Amino acid sequence: MIEVKKLSKSFQKHQVLKDVDLTVKKGSIYGLIGANGSGKTTLIKHLMGIYKQDAGEVFINNEKVFENNDIKKSIGYIPDELYYFPMYSMKNMASFYKKIYPNWNEERYINMVHTFELDENRRINKLSKGMQRQVAFILTLSTMPEVMILDEPIDGLDPLMRKKVWKYIVEDVAERDVSVLISSHNLKELESICDYVGILNRGQMLIERDLDELKSDVHKIQVVYKTEIPEEITKDVNVLHQEKRGTVYLFIVKGEQKEIVSKFNKYNPMILDILPLTLEEIFIYELGGVGYEIQNVIF
Amino acid sequence: MFQIDLTSRKPIYEQVMDKFKQLIIKEILSADEKIPSVRELATQLTINPNTIQKSYRELERQGYIYSVRGRGNFVSNKIKKVDEEKLNKLKQQVQNSLSELIYLGIEKEELIELIEKTYAMIKGGSRDD
Repeated sequence: MIEVKKLSKSFQKHQVLKDVDLTVKKGSIYGLIGANGSGKTTLIKHLMGIYKQDAGEVFINNEKVFENNDIKKSIGYIPDELYYFPMYSMKNMASFYKKIYPNWNEERYINMVHTFELDENRRINKLSKGMQRQVAFILTLSTMPEVMILDEPIDGLDPLMRKKVWKYIVEDVAERDVSVLISSHNLKELESICDYVGILNRGQMLIERDLDELKSDVHKIQVVYKTEIPEEITKDVNVLHQEKRGTVYLFIVKGEQKEIVSKFNKYNPMILDILPLTLEEIFIYELGGVGYEIQNVIF
Repeated sequence: MFQIDLTSRKPIYEQVMDKFKQLIIKEILSADEKIPSVRELATQLTINPNTIQKSYRELERQGYIYSVRGRGNFVSNKIKKVDEEKLNKLKQQVQNSLSELIYLGIEKEELIELIEKTYAMIKGGSRDD
């Protein structure tokens, strides 16, 4: 379990995180999303005890993380920029990990090297970027972590490798109740794997919610009326975004689906379509609500 | 067992539920048959176990499956009670499609034939055994 309470951090005069709260329940897969520079990596570095916070607290399995070696042994971390010792092969790296992580699982390691079809003896720094990511996964998952913190882990992996990686992660969650926090810009993939999401915006947590709940709360509505659109309707419902294409109106509306439909139906539409939003759309419209320019984003 | 469409806008837990309902209604899964555990299905489909759990919970609430503590989930043997909400929604859908067909000039007999054909296709198998 990961718990962050009122975390704040500034670098010189620049405030990067402001009163951030975050909770990842045991056995949950949490997607952390946010625009570039919104503070995701900084937040993650606090979870790992790499940065010391100015204010607030970070707990993993109910223990403070900073300079707590015992708790770090149970965390699997893949940073955004990988680091390997120069001249080390994966085999060398594995024996280093074995000394540090008490739960190292040799059987799993051998098994994974096999599935990913990597040469253990090649120098890691000579491998391609994607293969270096695979090495990171193999090493991290072989430590049998209780908590996984993955900073943009799948970037640079080919589709087949992603599938393998997700399979291992899902397996760990299903069988060992591992808690996972993933940051990524690949919202489609996050959407299919996460059950909880947090949207970080300019150092503050904008939304933190169950993904299905979040998705059932915002709707995309296409509607056509015989005459002009009744003015009152935009006052009746909570409109996040509105657009007109020919005679078709497009609304992004927040609220209970039944209620919204009945309100639109009151004015006898010729066509009324209601669609759930994708995570990508939620992300864009929610940020649009807090002052992001979205006019030019095309769907 | 089945595939999930990750590009669909439909939530995954609903997709999982729909697939199970289909399998149960078509009697591919028979009454009191054990369905895969949450873990099995999650790893098989590479889907979040919590999502599968949610589908199972909802399927149980709607009476399609029942769970036995420590043994797993089983197909219910009394699935006559389809949820009203879904029923009404489907009827509405059929009505919409039917009116469209009528506008396009399809005759009544042809519509009835279509319904009978579909009915026979789904239920036809069980008549023989």
